[in-house]
Amino acid sequence: MTDTVRLIIDGVVHQVPKGANLVDAAKMVGNDIPVFCYHPKLAPVGMCRMCLVELGQAGIDKDTGAFQLDDKGQPAIRWQPRLATACTTVVTDGMAIKTTTPQVTEARDDIVEFLLTSHPLDCPVCDKGGECPLQNLTMRHGPGESRFLYEEKQHLAKHYPLGDLIYLDRERCIQCARCTRFQEELVGDAVLAFHERGRRLQIVTTSNPPFDTYFSGNTTDICPVGALTTADFRFGARPWELTGVPSICPHCPVGCNVSASTRLDRESGGKIVVKRIMPRQNESVNEIWICDKGRFGHHHSRHGERLTQPLIRQGGKLVPATWDQALALIAEKISAADGDVGAIAGGMVSNEDLWELRQVVENAHGGKDHKSLGVYPYRLSGAEWVAKVGLSKGSNFGQMGKGTTIVVIASDLSEEAPIWYLRVKNAADRGAHLITLNARPTELDRFAKSKLKISYGGEIAALKSLTEKPEVKDAANVVIFVGGEGLDRAGHATLMQGAASVLTSTGHAGKVNNGLIGVWAGANTQGAFDLGYSSEATESLLNKRPAVLILADADIVAEDAANVSLLAHREGKFTVVSEMFLTATAAQADVVLPRQSFVERDGTVTSGERRVQRFYTAQTPLDGPRPDWKVFAEINRLRTGSKPKLSAAAVMKEITEKIAAYKGLTYAELGKVNKQFPDVGGDDPYYGGTAYENKGGLGVQWPTEADQGKVPSVSMPAVGKARKLESGELLIVPIVELFDRKPAFAASAPLLHSHVPAPYVVLNSGDAKTLNLVDGDKAILSSGGVEGEYTVRVDAAVPAQTALVARNLNLKSPTPAVPMVGSIRKVEVVASHV
Amino acid sequence: MANILLREKDIPGIGQYDTYVQHGGYDGLKKALGMKPDEVIQVVKDSNLRGRGGAGFPTGMKWSFVPKTEGPKYITVNADESEPGTFKDRQILEYNFQQLLEGSLICAYAVQASAVYIYARGEFWDIGPHMEAEIEKARKAGWVGQNIGGSGWGCEVYVHLGAGAYICGEESALLNSIEGKLGQPRVRPPFPAVAGLYARPTVINNVETLANVPQIIVQGAAWFKSIGTEKSPGPKIFCMSGHIEKPGNYEFPLGLTFRQLIEAAGGVRGGKKLKAILPSGASGPLLPATDKVLDTALTYEDVAALGSVLGSASVIILDESTDMVWATLKMARFFKHESCGKCTPCREGTYWLLKRLEAIYAKKATPADVQLIEDVAKQMQGKSLCALGDFATSPVMSALKYWRDEFLAYTQPQKPAPAKAGKDKVVAGGD
Repeated sequence: MTDTVRLIIDGVVHQVPKGANLVDAAKMVGNDIPVFCYHPKLAPVGMCRMCLVELGQAGIDKDTGAFQLDDKGQPAIRWQPRLATACTTVVTDGMAIKTTTPQVTEARDDIVEFLLTSHPLDCPVCDKGGECPLQNLTMRHGPGESRFLYEEKQHLAKHYPLGDLIYLDRERCIQCARCTRFQEELVGDAVLAFHERGRRLQIVTTSNPPFDTYFSGNTTDICPVGALTTADFRFGARPWELTGVPSICPHCPVGCNVSASTRLDRESGGKIVVKRIMPRQNESVNEIWICDKGRFGHHHSRHGERLTQPLIRQGGKLVPATWDQALALIAEKISAADGDVGAIAGGMVSNEDLWELRQVVENAHGGKDHKSLGVYPYRLSGAEWVAKVGLSKGSNFGQMGKGTTIVVIASDLSEEAPIWYLRVKNAADRGAHLITLNARPTELDRFAKSKLKISYGGEIAALKSLTEKPEVKDAANVVIFVGGEGLDRAGHATLMQGAASVLTSTGHAGKVNNGLIGVWAGANTQGAFDLGYSSEATESLLNKRPAVLILADADIVAEDAANVSLLAHREGKFTVVSEMFLTATAAQADVVLPRQSFVERDGTVTSGERRVQRFYTAQTPLDGPRPDWKVFAEINRLRTGSKPKLSAAAVMKEITEKIAAYKGLTYAELGKVNKQFPDVGGDDPYYGGTAYENKGGLGVQWPTEADQGKVPSVSMPAVGKARKLESGELLIVPIVELFDRKPAFAASAPLLHSHVPAPYVVLNSGDAKTLNLVDGDKAILSSGGVEGEYTVRVDAAVPAQTALVARNLNLKSPTPAVPMVGSIRKVEVVASHV
Repeated sequence: MANILLREKDIPGIGQYDTYVQHGGYDGLKKALGMKPDEVIQVVKDSNLRGRGGAGFPTGMKWSFVPKTEGPKYITVNADESEPGTFKDRQILEYNFQQLLEGSLICAYAVQASAVYIYARGEFWDIGPHMEAEIEKARKAGWVGQNIGGSGWGCEVYVHLGAGAYICGEESALLNSIEGKLGQPRVRPPFPAVAGLYARPTVINNVETLANVPQIIVQGAAWFKSIGTEKSPGPKIFCMSGHIEKPGNYEFPLGLTFRQLIEAAGGVRGGKKLKAILPSGASGPLLPATDKVLDTALTYEDVAALGSVLGSASVIILDESTDMVWATLKMARFFKHESCGKCTPCREGTYWLLKRLEAIYAKKATPADVQLIEDVAKQMQGKSLCALGDFATSPVMSALKYWRDEFLAYTQPQKPAPAKAGKDKVVAGGD
């Protein structure tokens, strides 16, 4: 075999992958070489010196390739006089190491003793205690008795805030640089650094605001000691009290696998609650990373303002009611609607919920009618192109590099899907050719080989030019991300078709590491499309609302104030809202149903890469709320006498029987786990906490038509007419900000509140000048009959006659859902006479 | 014999471009430009010139490691002279700079480098403008910049001042420092010859090493080998300091003995008896003043045979009045202060050594502490990322080897009670 080489470990010959370093290679064959600074996701630096081994080279007969033997018949090995660090040594054929000799064992003992001279050994009060590499290795290699005087220990800051999310204990830090290297190498935000030297070497943040990144929490996972802790979890629980429950992050379409660390909590009245969210290893999805939104955004499940009882409108007011009353009323209204029933589902409604909701609507219609099943938000479309030429089954951004071209169009991945951003960035670092096509600068531009600036409306023309680019035409692999910035529903559908056309016309469909990804808005928007929901349906439901409108997790009023009138309480119109909180939409409903949060129940969601994944019940559910699937199934029972299914698994089983793409994707199948490399979740916790290990399943990607050999021929849509703006008019373009004020998220992470910017509008410097506006001014933006106040930001790189407005920052006067023409005027500050 | 390196002793003002040229300056570069780059490397190889920064690595061989690939390559002149007792490079930079510049350019031509970075320690801030002014003179004369000497080959020269860290004399930390990064050594491989400055092939040579090069090219390898010994040929600057009558830089061919060197520098100060010699600043092991030592030839191999190193030949003389505990403490403090902190044994070990040596010197230690510092020093050896961690153990190990009694004399049989009878204070041997 050419892809493996011979490595002799303690006299035994092993075959290990070529190019691996000694730590990884030894681990693959079951030999744990202890480490502190080394991490398989980071370039080795050889700093901690824990992985010292005896290193040698066996003589190899040039002609036969066999080992030259000594007089005992063993391979003759020339040993180096000095110990070598295993992490920085790449294996070559015939390399030999000794890992159990007294020299090596003593070296490990020595290094641990050195580290402990400056470590406080405060394990009893340390958050890492119980899942700490240093603690474990001290048990194995520690001297047992200190030769170092306690009085000579350095005393340093114990609670140094590196930002408001992460605290640094400077006494515990062992200067391994995993945190600084993670930020610099993997994220590309070099906001942490060493300061000073020698024994005074310490971690500092170099950014303002401090530790300015969306990925800060990951540094606490990979910290090999308790030096970095999150403000959210520190002193919250001991690791051995925690049970890791597999879950899926509900915040964006990446579908990061997470582990909810739960315990029976006295403070929570003896209920099982989630104490923290940690990444769960899935090398095909999020590897071992999650963004700070996913990590800190779980508090909504225990928020005091959660709805716990159904509400029924009586005399113009919503008053508490029983489930029986609420469901009977809904069943009655549906029966009376004579088929005029529709439903709109938001971004985090599970496949099981969607399926049962679909049954409600279909039963009311007496058959199939997907025109009445809408998704929200509804500005994104074109899911049929994903079904045809979506990212091929088996693709993995972790394996993309040279030869692969990644195109990101009309999207700011760092805000919309941070882990996709991270993985695309790292693929680009490995040599993938990244092309960004946006009307404004985005974070990914820093890593792009070509940044093609387009105008809003110029997307199709830009795509057309791509087909001629050698980097696309001649690339081994092409992946295209299609976002929706600057587009309405029809525009996005056209763009999706255009991207599909680029892929098919250049022969990049139906092959691993090729295909199309829609940057959807929600964690299960893909699932909604798969189960027959569509943006087109939403559009028609909103244009002509049905007699009974069911809204599940779709806060259509908060996102578009114009929708208030749709929900006006008129004779013959009835609105059902399933929500966790009394949102702006719920406040307008006729019946409000309290739904469960993602940690209180089980189910499946389908990621933007079409990976169907399971999440499990982690937390004791609140008294009152029910899972949507159960509620909708009960409505069906009331209406048709059908026998409701008893579990989410049973609902999924039905889905697998009825939906072709989901064939065979039972809970058992989705729960399967294969061995992953790097092995970060094993018995040794060298690479981080105990939560990485994936016991909940890797999920399954469903195959596209192209994967099954049916590559369609897709025509490139015609270039549309450019939008004409009158002078003084602005194109208001909604953009996405990761941390926003959506009710579920705002209730989720009080810690992140200060990270949510005030509502702002970004203007081109020329426009700002004309409008007499400068940075920091207040301005009123009007569009579609809605006005809102925003803080002005001026940016020369924004296109002229454009106003970028971040969505969901201003819930009082919502941002338009799709680009529309509007105007802006300055708020004159009137001097007060005191 | 005329000085080859400290030429200003014979020709005042040789460091000025005009004077330098009047005395054959740039003849070496001119001659080199008429040769093929590989031929230049071969001459330096043949001369057996060895690196004067301390390691004594064959210079020509170092140059030959640079791959003949496309793209930029660099020369870095290590002028971060920071070893205690070393002040030879400073004299060259100040008084014979053109000779260094010419040597650097010959090296740059030999490996086809496009730029020379002179990395000088931050404390040389006042020499910086002088170097830059001399570089400008050489540029006007056509020796720096595009198409040097009509050869078609061009080379820039930059002066970069450090910020006061001993570790930046370590070649890879030096490269990091030029790149604006934290001055910490890099992991090798890759070696600088393959991926050095800005990840490009780089030759890093000491000032004194390169100052030898012009005359090697002009007079030939055989001439150079006729000076000094067979394995350690050429002239060498010896920095004499400590308890010596006439401290300063002395140029001699390699191979004279310690005794001859001390006599040349006027003998031990005040006619006192010699006690110990540090042949290579703080980082080489101490040697006792025995006849065997004094009659040892100053060559790379002979000093190594004594269990020490010739290093940069910064010879510190310690007379009979020297308290070896005090001297060791001074050096331990230096290494603790200068450890970069990147790797564990050096960062923690230097601190621990210092703390215990302070206690010994303050007479607050027991004989067990003397054993402890020896153990800690041994524990550090061979485990560090760069050589600093090993250097830091040299004074301790060698002082204990020859003068252990002096350390024991400072100790008390039993540990004194802790200064403050603490409430919860954990004492020695506690957890």
